[in-house]
Amino acid sequence: MSTPILSAKNITQRFGAFTAVNNVSVSFAAGKLAAIIGPNGAGKSTLFNVLSGAFAPTAGEIAFDGKDITGVAQHEFARRGIAKSFQITNLFPQLTARENVRVAVQMRYSRFAIFTPRAKFTEWADLADALLERVGLADRRDRLARDLAHGEQRCLEIAMALACEPKLLLLDEPTAGMSPEETMVMMQLIRALANERTVILVEHKMKLVMGLCERIIVLHHGELLAEGTPDEIRSNADVKRVYLGQGPSK
Amino acid sequence: MKPFIALVTRHRVLAVIAFLLVFPLIMPYSALAVNVLIFGLFAVGLNVLFGYTGLLSFGHAAFLGVGGYLTGISMLSFGLPWWLALPIGVIASALVGLVMGWLAIRTRGIYFSMVTLALAQCVYFIFYKAERWTGGENGLRGIKVEPVQMGGLTFDLLNPLTKYYFILAFVALALWFVSRLLASPFGAVMETIRENEKRAAACGFDVARSKLLAFVLSAAICGLAGGLRALHLSIVPIDSLHYLTSGQAIMMCLLGGMGTFFGPFVGAAAFLLIEEGATNFTSHWQLVTGVVFIVFVLFFPKGIWGSLLERMKRS
Amino acid sequence: MDINLFLLQLVTGLALGSVFVLLALGLSLIFGMLTVVNFAHGAYFMVGASIGAYLYGLTGQFWLSVVIVPIAVGVMGLLTERFLVRPLYGRGIDYPLLLTFGLSYVLVECVRIVFGIDGLQMGTPASLRGAVNIGVGQFPLYRLFLIVATALIVVALWLVIEKTRFGLIIRAGARDPEIVRILGVDISKVWLIVFAIGTGIAGLSGILAAPIRAVNPEMGIPVLAESFVVTVIGGMGSLVGAVVAGLLVGVVYSLTSLYAPDYAEMSIFALMALVLLVRPQGLFGRAGLMS
Repeated sequence: MSTPILSAKNITQRFGAFTAVNNVSVSFAAGKLAAIIGPNGAGKSTLFNVLSGAFAPTAGEIAFDGKDITGVAQHEFARRGIAKSFQITNLFPQLTARENVRVAVQMRYSRFAIFTPRAKFTEWADLADALLERVGLADRRDRLARDLAHGEQRCLEIAMALACEPKLLLLDEPTAGMSPEETMVMMQLIRALANERTVILVEHKMKLVMGLCERIIVLHHGELLAEGTPDEIRSNADVKRVYLGQGPSK
Repeated sequence: MKPFIALVTRHRVLAVIAFLLVFPLIMPYSALAVNVLIFGLFAVGLNVLFGYTGLLSFGHAAFLGVGGYLTGISMLSFGLPWWLALPIGVIASALVGLVMGWLAIRTRGIYFSMVTLALAQCVYFIFYKAERWTGGENGLRGIKVEPVQMGGLTFDLLNPLTKYYFILAFVALALWFVSRLLASPFGAVMETIRENEKRAAACGFDVARSKLLAFVLSAAICGLAGGLRALHLSIVPIDSLHYLTSGQAIMMCLLGGMGTFFGPFVGAAAFLLIEEGATNFTSHWQLVTGVVFIVFVLFFPKGIWGSLLERMKRS
Repeated sequence: MDINLFLLQLVTGLALGSVFVLLALGLSLIFGMLTVVNFAHGAYFMVGASIGAYLYGLTGQFWLSVVIVPIAVGVMGLLTERFLVRPLYGRGIDYPLLLTFGLSYVLVECVRIVFGIDGLQMGTPASLRGAVNIGVGQFPLYRLFLIVATALIVVALWLVIEKTRFGLIIRAGARDPEIVRILGVDISKVWLIVFAIGTGIAGLSGILAAPIRAVNPEMGIPVLAESFVVTVIGGMGSLVGAVVAGLLVGVVYSLTSLYAPDYAEMSIFALMALVLLVRPQGLFGRAGLMS
């Protein structure tokens, strides 16, 4: 296997006395679509937050593209090419959809310019429009983000994540709260995106993940339970036990 | 109505200046108009941080005060001309803003408001104690501005109306700068921080540094207001540094409409007119201001101008 | 260096700090529950001192006044929460702050109207006059009383929070209002009561401080800044932090005024700046409580 694009070594994350993630080591191959799954409270979201730079792990190391990025500030992650979408929709609610994406595009070019009107940089708006087109929101671009439907907001999140031209895209439960139709649209989008870059998603809908991903990582009680292809995971005794013990997965 | 709004929004600086040019004609007396101008600018400075970046600072009196004091001290103790003293006041405010901001941005939300308030009180006590330079409790007195020669014209600043237009020139310059700032790429970053700090960081913006830059720029604008106030009053009262003065700017911002370009001036005019009107029949004018402010917080949080804009946009 | 003078000043600092402790306790209690910073806290302190001075002047009954004042101010707090602060929940954290700031204007003017602009004098109650020898020198009895009274109030508050059902609700609610709802308790009632207790304590600290401070309508203005300093040092919402930081600030202030009187006011702000640099969430604050 070639050098992984993202590797996490011995990640431990504690909150006070509570250990959310315990000594987990995972790595992700470039260009693959992978998923982190597990029952509620397995530590998926915590691991996601560590991998996406929301907080530095209590212990352990993360390397991206062969470079150590442990403890690097959140904004540095986006600049180095790791973008994320949040589980709970996290937009700029009072800005238009277009402005949401445009400002995300702007990050690559200008962060502290205080005097030139931004309207002059029409190429940023063009890039934003292209991204909106990509996620199917072209006709919604002048709506305020808060006025969009839930599914549209999730798509907008992804457009914003794509704006920094990431090599790695991290998605936290991208289909949470979506209707079946919206889920279908989102799955197609994710599949298309995964053709161009590495995508890692956190999910608890096991079925969705099985049909979509090439590699699956299962967490349980903050620890790594299993890792492998969908077929391997499906036949893994530990995984069966955990999921059956919890009742059928959604 | 819509084309008019669009026109005003597009040329917001010109629109505000046009209004301010005729403003003294509708005010009871010129000194009040000058006050509105200066406090309006002060509130504009605060609005950059409060209305556009979403950071509620209770410490902006420090910048009004430092701008005023340093302008005054430069003239009184060092004999500098006003046109050199004024930029010194602005730079000093920006520097104080840098230190205060550097400390305060470590905190967020309500904490930020409390910390800025406390830090401003610290500045207050420093100036209070440095009596030799600042005049302590009595304030800095005796700032004199000689008639200004400009392009063959003489402006005698003892004439209130002349003074108004003299100060307006600086306010216009500041407004033009603020308008450019808000329209700049960084202006967009400020808005993203107001809207969703976490998302701004995830997009790749260095939130802490952006906040600091917004803080310093906002401080500089308030410093200019302070310097102009020193020239206007020829004294710098120690109260300019007090957190209650920050509170006044906040009230003005909210009364006018925070996050709107013209709102701060509307708020300043409303606040000072209420004060003016109320003092005519009661010595307890602060009761009136306080109640009006509470009513606005409860029922009109968008302020006078903000609510008007909303209604006109809808109609 | 005269060690006795130093120790005496240290105890003076503790007495001064006692008032800070009470102020910060009220502020932190309200914040911990409602995530509202009461910008009228200094004004309630002033109202407590004013009503206290008036009542004591009228009746000559110190203890009666000490009982009535916190109740009266607490009721004002109750009304404030119910009719002014409550409509603002869910509208963003800045609004309650702005509202209470406006309210402080109103309270100051009301006191000016009711009690006059010059303020009132409150003498030390007869039973607490004079000084006692505390080993390192003569110390005013009233200040000693302040320390003891604060200690008793802190212990009482601690007992309520740790040992009663209401305390359990407060502790749960400070972590997650949802838990309280699950317990079947009307959270809005808890908020109402906590706000009243917080303001009541502010009023109580007002009357207790009245004999050692000038009572006037403006006395709450610097107090607000001071109690913020204490809260920031101790950590928002932390009651232990309020106690430790309150005493610390009192002692620092009092020792600086002994050795470098010109810097006394500044010293507590410098202390706050230092804490912000080293531990922005405050000495006893949890990192997550900052937003």
